[in-house]
Amino acid sequence: MIVDPVGLFLVFLKASALSLGGLSSLPLLRADLVATHIATDQQLVQAIAIGRVSTGPNGLYIVSLGYLVGGFAGAALATVAAAVPPLVIIPIARVSRHLLLTPPVAGLVRGVALATAGLLAASSLQIQIAAGATAWWQIALAAAAVVLSYRGTIHPAFVIVGGAAAGILLGR
Amino acid sequence: MERERWLSPREFGELWALSQLSPGIHLVALAGLVGDRVAGWRGVAATVGGMLVPAAAITVAVTVAYGAIASSEIARAALSGVAPTAAGMTLATALLLIRSTARRARAQAALDLAVSAAAFAAGIAVAIPTVAAIAIGGLIGVVALGRERPTSRETPVG
Repeated sequence: MIVDPVGLFLVFLKASALSLGGLSSLPLLRADLVATHIATDQQLVQAIAIGRVSTGPNGLYIVSLGYLVGGFAGAALATVAAAVPPLVIIPIARVSRHLLLTPPVAGLVRGVALATAGLLAASSLQIQIAAGATAWWQIALAAAAVVLSYRGTIHPAFVIVGGAAAGILLGR
Repeated sequence: MERERWLSPREFGELWALSQLSPGIHLVALAGLVGDRVAGWRGVAATVGGMLVPAAAITVAVTVAYGAIASSEIARAALSGVAPTAAGMTLATALLLIRSTARRARAQAALDLAVSAAAFAAGIAVAIPTVAAIAIGGLIGVVALGRERPTSRETPVG
């Protein structure tokens, strides 16, 4: 791969370790990969979409991103980086389960989650603009995707397929 | 789980609550905690491997398949619709994360939303490093947001 494997692994590991669930690693990955020109916003968007179409947790979009920037090795590194940080909860829970359910820990998790949510919202607008999706119908499509995903009644894969169909109809 | 009597519903609920505190993908943490409870480190390897390896392989396969057609005109047109859709879904994820995290009492909700709004502004302005914004959020959380246990996450975000 063109990208330094150790550096790429550390970027994925950091994003996974400092996020709380699923897509919340996106702002960190965007800061470390797009600003440094290792990945493009187009690739981020593709990876998110593929992650939604594919099986498994949403957070596995980083496996798709790993493949896009580093081939099979990149995908393998991203998978390991996704697997390791969540497992630190196992030894921590063994040693001090009661400590985990105290107000300061609840506050820490809540504060990180709320900050991450704000950053994720900012990232979503930035990738929309950076991907050049600013035509009226694309903005309307994004708004529809927000509503459908927030309500959660339609499977994400169908929402992505609907977006692709709209692109084929309107995007040439 | 319950059918095989590996865990009682109460145990499962407790492990689920712990998994929500983990860094990274919460479903991976839940799989690991369940595996550990049932069969120690071998259980962890089985549950986490069983969850991630097939899912990662399928994700790579979909990415490879997409790459094979990515330069075609129809794929480019499709992407022009998929890009805003993925961006919108990401925004919805952020909103769902706020909904499941923010507390319900009015003063607390206002404080919680202010943290998200400040992080949003920091993210747009770019002047503040992402890691710093997350750290500040965590610090504010320890000091001021811990009065109430986290509300149960109705929406899976992992």
